Amino acid sequence: MADQIKPDELLDKIDHTPERGDWMHTAVQIRPGMYCYSANPASLETMDMPNVRKWDPLDEDWKLPENWQEIIHNGIKERLERFRTFKVFMDICVRCGACADKCHYFLGTGDPKNMPVLRAELLRSVYRNDFTTVGKILSSIPGGKKLYGSRPLTLDVLKEWWYYFFQCTECRRCSVFCPYGIDTAEITIMGRELLNLLGLNIDWIATPVANCNNTGNHLGIQPHALMGMMEFFTEDIEEVTGVNCAPQFNKKGADILFITPSGDYFADPGTYTCQGYLILFKYLKEKYGLDVTWSTYASEGGNFGSFTSFEASKRLNAKMYLEAKRLGVKWILGGECGHMWRVVHQYMDTMNGPADFLEEPVNPITGTKFENAKSTKMVHIIEFTADLIKHGKLELDKSRNDNVKLTFHDSCNPSRSMGMLEEPRYIINNVCNNFYEMPPNTIREQTFCCGSGAGLNAGENIELRMAGALPRATAVKYVHEKFGVNRLGAICAIDRAALPTAMEYWVPEVGVTGLHELIGNALILPGEKKRTEDLRFEPLPGVEEEDDE
Amino acid sequence: MAAMDKENNEITFDPERYLENFESWTEKIACQIADQEGVFQECPLSGDQMDILKFIRDYYKKFEAFPIVRAVCKNVGQLKDCQYQQFPDPIVAWKISGLPKPTPEVFATIKHKI
Repeated sequence: MADQIKPDELLDKIDHTPERGDWMHTAVQIRPGMYCYSANPASLETMDMPNVRKWDPLDEDWKLPENWQEIIHNGIKERLERFRTFKVFMDICVRCGACADKCHYFLGTGDPKNMPVLRAELLRSVYRNDFTTVGKILSSIPGGKKLYGSRPLTLDVLKEWWYYFFQCTECRRCSVFCPYGIDTAEITIMGRELLNLLGLNIDWIATPVANCNNTGNHLGIQPHALMGMMEFFTEDIEEVTGVNCAPQFNKKGADILFITPSGDYFADPGTYTCQGYLILFKYLKEKYGLDVTWSTYASEGGNFGSFTSFEASKRLNAKMYLEAKRLGVKWILGGECGHMWRVVHQYMDTMNGPADFLEEPVNPITGTKFENAKSTKMVHIIEFTADLIKHGKLELDKSRNDNVKLTFHDSCNPSRSMGMLEEPRYIINNVCNNFYEMPPNTIREQTFCCGSGAGLNAGENIELRMAGALPRATAVKYVHEKFGVNRLGAICAIDRAALPTAMEYWVPEVGVTGLHELIGNALILPGEKKRTEDLRFEPLPGVEEEDDE
Repeated sequence: MAAMDKENNEITFDPERYLENFESWTEKIACQIADQEGVFQECPLSGDQMDILKFIRDYYKKFEAFPIVRAVCKNVGQLKDCQYQQFPDPIVAWKISGLPKPTPEVFATIKHKI
């Protein structure tokens, strides 16, 4: 599809003038390129999800159970009682419109139902009709007027939910601008939970969830394959540095358990980030005796369960604490990932904790206490590494990254769900000489999503993804043209998977990198040989000239 | 007429034209898949191409997984973007190797033609 719709054509399609008239009277049009395929029945079965069958979103008949309206009604009722936020967010919106033009999908498509307020209204309208006192009274009068802004749940409404709740990446940029602080991501989360009660998941979420449940990671990489991949990285690192950085697996009594998203084991450029972790851990072992172990069981940091339901999220997350307990480590260190940190930082300790068998995380090398991870017992590697640099514990040669002109994309969840804004910049300034920020309203807590998060990084919805990536890409293009930026840094595995495609589409001169790749290049390992290449086997700056002399 | 393998069993494909039984793969079938993918019509395939396909198949037998792209190239002693050079991309190379459709995350993380 990417070669069918060209960037210029996509730009021409954007129209931010909605049609006149009541949005409720515009029926949903499910359009190829904008939606993801339905879940593979086998994957739903693995997770004991209801209404397992083959179905096609383009078909008239979605093969729903006869009492589907009752299931959804009860589902909403149950969630209103269970999640206080959901009830509050259903009630308090005043429809001021502050969020309307903050969504990357609205900016990139012009579709008014991608305004966060309207996306929430899709669900709120049914809530008003079925759950508010006035709504209930008015809708019970035959032929009477309904409450303004309310509507009954029909099949068309359900289809609209499905289409638009899978056009939201739960990035929460809109919430930053909401005067009430409504977390629209939570509305999408609830919407998707409800859809899952009828077996209406998409395959790009359901299959990774099943894989993760069965093998420990979204990609379905088995333990022996994971170790094989690490062997390959170890060989490559040795070629570049002359040092063997082989990791340890499943080591009982290690100080720290390290868990990262599986995308880092598998595909470039995440693999280079993974090599950066290996180099860092080797350095810490040699210099300070820090013992870090990886796990072949808890081999996934990400959690696609969180795009499915609370229960699925909990089930996939459980292995982190289970493995930490089994191995008897002190605390857990987590890799460069995005949504993983929403789950870990905000839900894990109440969902699967308390992890009272772990210690409150303290960096044994610097003595820093990670206060924000006191209850979860899990620290983000960016914070960990920034702390090491701050205390002068890493010997770095940042000129080795001189061929990189970097800009930094704040990943939605670490920035908006964790407040991790300074730490990545602190690292960058210590490992890289050429760093240029994108405009202020596109970074930090106002960062724009990559356009493919929350399980939407599929191939079949490529038009949606490229439209959603437009605001981010526009800011990258700006620094590329102004400063010659050639690399986009990110601390999220979905970013490392999604942004290369988005860059190729909108700003082809810019590549993507994780920050630990840059650390891997800059860190001077004890006993290393004279490096002539970076982790990508590209010649280091100045090396070619030296050879010529 | 349907194609037959060495034991005279019918060669079958799934609806997206991935080979259903990877054991029935032969070089001739590789040519057939390459042709149906619109990649090339020459048969036999080149030595470099066959090296890549055989490595992917051996890797799958051992790990039931999609190999790291540059690991394939390194192992067969070719340039690190060998699958992009020899085939349009690694997913097409995988398909020509006669292996089942990869999982959605593989499609999402491996750069390929959409």
